[in-house]
Amino acid sequence: MLSFKEIKELIDLVTERGLSGLEIERAGFRIRIEGARPPVANGTIEAPANAAPAPTPALGGAAAVAAAPEGEGVHVITSPIVGTFYRAPSPEAEAFADVGSRVSKGKVLCIIESMKLMNEIESDVEGEIVEVYARNGQPVEYGEKLFGIRLAA
Amino acid sequence: MFKKILIANRGEIALRIISACRELDIKTVAIYSEADRDALHVRYADEDVCVGPYPSAASYLNISAIVSAAEITEADAIHPGYGFLSENAYFAEILQDCHIAFIGPSPDAMRRMGDKSLARRTVTAAGVPTVPGSPGPVETVDEALAFARKAGYPVILKAAAGGGGRGMRVARDERELSGAYETARNEADKAFGNPDVYLEKYLDAPRHIEFQVFGDSFGNVQHLGERECSIQRRHQKLIEEAPSAVLTPELRRQMGEAAITAAKAVNYTNAGTIEFLLDSQDRFYFMEMNTRLQVEHPVTEQVTGLDIVKEQIAVAAGASLSFAGRELAPRGHAIEFRVNAEDPVTFAPCPGRLTAFHPPGGIGVRVDTAAYQGYVIPPHYDSLIAKLIVHGRTRMEAISRARRALDLFVVEGIKTTIPMHRRILDDPDFVDGRLSTRFMERFAAAS
Repeated sequence: MLSFKEIKELIDLVTERGLSGLEIERAGFRIRIEGARPPVANGTIEAPANAAPAPTPALGGAAAVAAAPEGEGVHVITSPIVGTFYRAPSPEAEAFADVGSRVSKGKVLCIIESMKLMNEIESDVEGEIVEVYARNGQPVEYGEKLFGIRLAA
Repeated sequence: MFKKILIANRGEIALRIISACRELDIKTVAIYSEADRDALHVRYADEDVCVGPYPSAASYLNISAIVSAAEITEADAIHPGYGFLSENAYFAEILQDCHIAFIGPSPDAMRRMGDKSLARRTVTAAGVPTVPGSPGPVETVDEALAFARKAGYPVILKAAAGGGGRGMRVARDERELSGAYETARNEADKAFGNPDVYLEKYLDAPRHIEFQVFGDSFGNVQHLGERECSIQRRHQKLIEEAPSAVLTPELRRQMGEAAITAAKAVNYTNAGTIEFLLDSQDRFYFMEMNTRLQVEHPVTEQVTGLDIVKEQIAVAAGASLSFAGRELAPRGHAIEFRVNAEDPVTFAPCPGRLTAFHPPGGIGVRVDTAAYQGYVIPPHYDSLIAKLIVHGRTRMEAISRARRALDLFVVEGIKTTIPMHRRILDDPDFVDGRLSTRFMERFAAAS
């Protein structure tokens, strides 16, 4: 069974080398990682700059990695601190924001708990949330992707 | 024993700690700044957490980020390495509150030895000789002048919150001292957040002899012998060796006992180093204590066979000294050369990409490094890229091994201090063991 770190490294390998796919099988476990299909332009094939391939592990429990690439106009909010990511102010409460939520500058998007302190993370742009990268309760590091926001026109 | 240790450091010392953890089957967590994404310590650790952007204050000195990293990875201990937070008593206290073990001494011992002026008073009270100096910080320039008049010039102004060779100014007469006093206070305030300065008699061409001490939680405090670190430039060590070429067994016994007395005076636990100055009449004086692992710990490891970092981890986990009651007499002679990414003549820093990197090996040669071919040395941190440690049955064999090893050490793409070390190894004073803290001054002038 591969660790999350090893699966992440295989995904990076597929992306960096522009592979169309990679399949590994060992006793009791199989994983297939497919590369993003390169766009064909004027008869030449080019690997996209930032395609993130989607893994399909045969064994449950592996974390899902975001499949949508950052296109134009999508602003990524990253974590400014180390801690644990929470989508709502408390376990019973509603999430601060979801895919589809319209947010303005200063709107609280999530809480990152660090050393027992609850830090509210605000949006620094106006727009619509198109992606939530981190999972509720997930440990996050500095610079970890949290939300993708399509900027308001 | 700990299950998982977070290393609050980077570079070669982070690798050193990871190595010890691997041998003890302890999981490791590396922390890194954005500038260190491709660093070896990040690759070799079992887990890694990015703690901030490249400035040290936002990353390697960022206490809340580092403690958070330990919490989210469930590390049960932190090893601070050297520099950074290794002598930060506040950090050690926070870890106590968070129930994370700090692999090092207690916050109290750190404080009492971290204030260099208080440290002098503490060890003096315990009967350890110190360099003649002001009883405490000198509050006014007149106080400084009065002390200097009594003790005699030259004198040296030192920051009470300084250490590690920083925050010092020599004054050779009244005029220089009056001029230096206010400047020294301002510099100390800016660098260490505390303007207090104290005065010491500045010894003429002493040797820098330090003793490795170790304490455990059962009250044992022993020493592992000395290191001679007289070859320094601007108070930064360049070459260290063990044992010292001039210590007689009697002098070693006396200095070793003084080192243990000093450590016991602050109930010291874990690894520490007592620094002495030895004058030309074989009189020794306590200078300061470093309450952490030192850069040059490998020379002691080579002559005693003890893994100091593994010992640190075991002692922090509650074990007694593995060598309690035994004397680890030095076998053979070891010398360490700090290879810095600097111009070998001007010492200007030279960060950049290592287009070739092939360290030497073979009998009696050890290289502690986090560099590799293709690595880009970031400009934001210190310039140490490798430590070359040689060991031989005698000092002469160690010297000939060092010449061979440095000649076969391939580093291309940046400048290093290897050519400087190579020239020192041909210097008659070095070869004959005629060392003092004025060595580099004379050596640089002669070139």
